[in-house]
Amino acid sequence: MLPRFSGLAVPLGSVLFAFVAGGLIVLISGANPIDAYQGLLCGVGLLCAGGENPALELSTTIVFLTPLITAGVAVAIPFRAGLFNIGAEGQLLVGTVACLVVGISLSSLPGIVLVPLELLAGMAAGAAWAGIAGVLKATVGAHEVVTTIMLNYVAQWLVRYLIIGGPLQAPGAFSASSPISVNGRLPTFFPASNSLIVFGLPSSVYRVHTGLIIALVAAAVFAFLLWRTSLGYEIRAVGQSQKAARYAGVSVPRTIIVTMLIAGAFAGLAGAIQIAGVDKQLTDKYFNDTTGFDAIAVALLGLGSAVGIVLAALLFGALHAGGAVMQSDAGLSSNLVLVLQALILFSIAGNFVGQISRLIPGLRAPPTLPSELPPAAPLMTEAAAPPPETA
Amino acid sequence: MGHMRLRVLGVVAAALMLAVACGSSSSGGNTKQVKVGLVTDTGGLNDKSFNHLAYVGLQSAISKLGIKGDVIESKSGDDYVPNLTNFAQKGYDLVIGNGFLMQPAIGTVAAQFPNIKFAIVDGAGTDAKFNDLKQTNVMDLFFKEQESGALVGAIAGLLEKQSKAPKNTHVISAVGGVKIPPVDHYLAGYQWAAKIYDPSIKVLIGYSNDFNATDKCKAVANTQIGQGSEFVFQVAGGCGVGALQAAGQAHVYSFGVDADQKDADPSVIASALKKVDVAVYDAIKSVVDGKFTGGANRFSLANDATGYQVDNFSLPADIKTEVDNLAAAMKSGSKTPPDVVS
Repeated sequence: MLPRFSGLAVPLGSVLFAFVAGGLIVLISGANPIDAYQGLLCGVGLLCAGGENPALELSTTIVFLTPLITAGVAVAIPFRAGLFNIGAEGQLLVGTVACLVVGISLSSLPGIVLVPLELLAGMAAGAAWAGIAGVLKATVGAHEVVTTIMLNYVAQWLVRYLIIGGPLQAPGAFSASSPISVNGRLPTFFPASNSLIVFGLPSSVYRVHTGLIIALVAAAVFAFLLWRTSLGYEIRAVGQSQKAARYAGVSVPRTIIVTMLIAGAFAGLAGAIQIAGVDKQLTDKYFNDTTGFDAIAVALLGLGSAVGIVLAALLFGALHAGGAVMQSDAGLSSNLVLVLQALILFSIAGNFVGQISRLIPGLRAPPTLPSELPPAAPLMTEAAAPPPETA
Repeated sequence: MGHMRLRVLGVVAAALMLAVACGSSSSGGNTKQVKVGLVTDTGGLNDKSFNHLAYVGLQSAISKLGIKGDVIESKSGDDYVPNLTNFAQKGYDLVIGNGFLMQPAIGTVAAQFPNIKFAIVDGAGTDAKFNDLKQTNVMDLFFKEQESGALVGAIAGLLEKQSKAPKNTHVISAVGGVKIPPVDHYLAGYQWAAKIYDPSIKVLIGYSNDFNATDKCKAVANTQIGQGSEFVFQVAGGCGVGALQAAGQAHVYSFGVDADQKDADPSVIASALKKVDVAVYDAIKSVVDGKFTGGANRFSLANDATGYQVDNFSLPADIKTEVDNLAAAMKSGSKTPPDVVS
């Protein structure tokens, strides 16, 4: 069997399986699966039967998928180094806070200066947050799964504190911060006008913003970093075998810390893009935000590759946007959309985890190599391996 | 092996197609029918509280007024604008947003669709700083929650006064979700009435800063119970069910909120009602009758939209009389509960 073909067959097959199984559940629940999946397709601007504007649906899908790309990269990079970054959510949250603080406190600066500063602040905050877990892993061997999960809680409660009675709470608002000024916002593709009509609707309804370009560039940077730089080689070497990497002269602790710093920067960027591009302010929605967790699924479904992550983010964005259409047109419960998402993950994790874990480190390896690799998931075993010796 | 899996998938897919082909339905209908879209907040339809009640109001409008009604549940704050826009772009006659926290989203979408009518429970169309935009196509559905809060507060105060509480500690408490006006209205009335009937009473107030996670409300309630509270009033939506459970486990009494919550926990002796269903139905009816007007609509005892319900408890007749007297006094305006927590 051709490895390249099987690499595609696994994720596509599992998605297909999930869709068919989901369709049966929709059927049992008394709704029409065709209507339901039509709603889903409508999310990417195709076959909107219920009167939705396809351009608007596509715009909404892109708004949803943009942070998933950057956050997905933040999970995929540590995967390559054998690290499991569960903390993308926390890193994203501190990124939103940093972006907001810069956006509000430097609001007099022109947009061309302010927006990059906001994004850099978000990246720096995310990097610092993930760096804590990286340093702890590299020095005392604290497992990154535990530390990043704990740091998620710290970040979530920090956001709660900041906007409920804390220093960022807007006067007169409740569980919300002040919005950043207009010049601190990422430009949208369409002018934010209620009177200009584009594709039959006021142009302000299309929220799709230039964060999409930043996210796509981030995905390209990720691919370049991983495959075209010596750092990327070191990251992959550490992911394949820490012992071999050390023998080859790679500093494992340094690589772990740098990997986490880079990952955190991507997650922080996702948060900054959300504030500067969509939300403009911190609100209670960030208490229950799941972008950083969805990113884990995106990274896995995308097989840890840049193109895969973009495609997986597109699927999740369409599921999210199409979910509303499925509810209003097909009369489906919103929970069924979550069932579908869960089915996709389940079919990947349950049926194909062995194949996927062989694929991730060996995606570019010669076809003969994978069979010689240990059968257990290197991704998991490396993550669970004893801490590297710091000598 | 791979072929096998594909073949299985193919068979399942074919079966699915067949089933769909047999069960396909036709839709269509009267073009004059009024279309109403309801967008819930993140609590979802099964919150046993105000999203559920909004749905009840929509359902009764469907059956009594013959409208077409559709619902979209919001899974996160990300969904408010897209969900409201979904109905607005399809030319629905009325789009209803449920909840105080949806105000900026309503403000945004109502400005984009000036020809569509909107209604929002517990709020108005606002900008990002929660300033009312006073849009003419937005109907604000406000409640005097302080009246309902006062009625259950009176029950707690009277039971303490008459030494009929579990331990007669003269300490009662309330767990609020986020400190927002509709929550504080309840708390203010509760505090006010309890002190009228039992001047020695101590009212503890805490916030979970969450409307969905039951464990957070449970933690706040447990702290209050540890400080001697024997009546726990939850004003935190789905999160507050945790406060009711905490009261049940500690064998003290609790009060439900918004809907009749007697089934949420056996410790619930009464519920402070906020009949969102009445408000939603009225808003829909105003559109059907062509009488829709933007701006504030206030729902209170006067239009039977607030009140209380005795639950898993036999309330002594004299106490019930006192509470009903208070309700009558508030309805007539001779007593006015505060709407700010003191």
